[in-house]
Amino acid sequence: MEELARRFGVYLAHKMPQASNIEVADVSRIHGGASRETFRLNAAWDEGGHRVVRPLILRRDPVASLIETERDLEYNAYRAFHPTGLPVPEPLYLETDLKWLDRPFFVMEQIVGCAAGAPFTPDPYGPLAEKLGKQFWTHLGHIAAADPEKLGVSMEPVAPDESWKRELDKWEKVIDEDELCPQPVARAAIRWMRRNPPPPAQKICVVHGDYRTGNFLFNPEGEIKAILDWEMCHLGDPLEDLCWAADPLWGFDNKERPGGMLSRAESLRLWQEASGLEIDPKGLRWWEIFNSLKGLAIWISAGKEYQSGANRDPILALSSIYPTDVHNRVLAKELAALSKEARA
Amino acid sequence: MKPDADVMLGGFAGTLLMDIAPQLGGEYTLGSVGIISMSMLMMAQEVDRAAEIRYQENAQLRALFAEAARIVDDKDLAKRLDAASATKDESLRVRALDASNDALKKLLIELQALAEVSKAPWAAGLESKIWDFLLGSVEARRFVFPALG
Repeated sequence: MEELARRFGVYLAHKMPQASNIEVADVSRIHGGASRETFRLNAAWDEGGHRVVRPLILRRDPVASLIETERDLEYNAYRAFHPTGLPVPEPLYLETDLKWLDRPFFVMEQIVGCAAGAPFTPDPYGPLAEKLGKQFWTHLGHIAAADPEKLGVSMEPVAPDESWKRELDKWEKVIDEDELCPQPVARAAIRWMRRNPPPPAQKICVVHGDYRTGNFLFNPEGEIKAILDWEMCHLGDPLEDLCWAADPLWGFDNKERPGGMLSRAESLRLWQEASGLEIDPKGLRWWEIFNSLKGLAIWISAGKEYQSGANRDPILALSSIYPTDVHNRVLAKELAALSKEARA
Repeated sequence: MKPDADVMLGGFAGTLLMDIAPQLGGEYTLGSVGIISMSMLMMAQEVDRAAEIRYQENAQLRALFAEAARIVDDKDLAKRLDAASATKDESLRVRALDASNDALKKLLIELQALAEVSKAPWAAGLESKIWDFLLGSVEARRFVFPALG
């Protein structure tokens, strides 16, 4: 960590020529999404006759990751949403020149005095669940309501009737490339989704891509202070994020209490109120199935990374065990019921 | 080997979590030890049942294929189903059972894709049997996420 601190100090000196006596201390690696190496650190420097101290987060590209993502997408999402009042950390620097830290990285504000809930527990937020749940679903509604053009995000455009296909193609390709064994449930899901496409998106919005329990920070008073891990953000159907957040995996297998916070009905109501959008039941069902399939693709990819030796982070191994099991069960149950329904 | 592998994995996970983790510094290290411990607790669930699950699944798939071979109207597929139904597991090593399981499930995917779009009289019943198999398979492979604290 000393070498990383030294090199990062050199980088800060380059970015802040007005600063002197730059010190980088307390560097420690933290778990912050399986697609980037994340470090917490404190930077201090002299500027304008004062000593400035700033806790920062450094997110560096790994050698191999859970899922390949573009770091500029995540950085630009923080940059777009930070001025809107949505709780996200302030992004500071995006660096693609390898000379500084060997791999691309970005730097953002560290949110101090906060915690993230553990996703695989029956009651991740205890007495704060209701208060956090109201904010959680409302913030997601606000993301859906935001106009991508006004936000100024630079993401691949997609038509309202094409977003489902683009996402399905993308995750099917991940399964094609990374499966270590045949996946009959995933393949059945893909075929069902292609035979039963959802209605066109009501609007195209920024989709966070991994909005869920464990991906936001809250303080002891129960206020959400930061929505994190925008690594998979893209333009698409707002129902995609809604259904990922409500996926049973993040509610300890309990579909009726998504994310372990509020009832399903209340969660969806809050989202509708904040987004100004209606939930089409057919679309909801399609995107629910899609998200369990997307989850499977991610866990399959994690297993491949671990098995091949490309990345031996234990989170990749665990990701390919328990979440795979949950999503296979969720999908099998849902698809078996749909099959019976179609034959009736 | 005694103690049994699942007992040892569970015991080691407990030692890591309760005795070793509290002595460690560094959030990432602690988090990784927790993840490794969780994984070991799940491996403990898997190690004793792995061969049985695969052996049973392979037998069920061969029986399903034998029946399907007599009714599907795709002659080439019927021939391959018949051949697959006659295969046997020559070894009970998990990797060998996995290899058979993979080959059988690849064929199952093909059979299910055919059944679900077919309007033939046999299709609904076969599709239902395939889903019964898959529901049983995912349930047999279910992991209990360890409840801690």
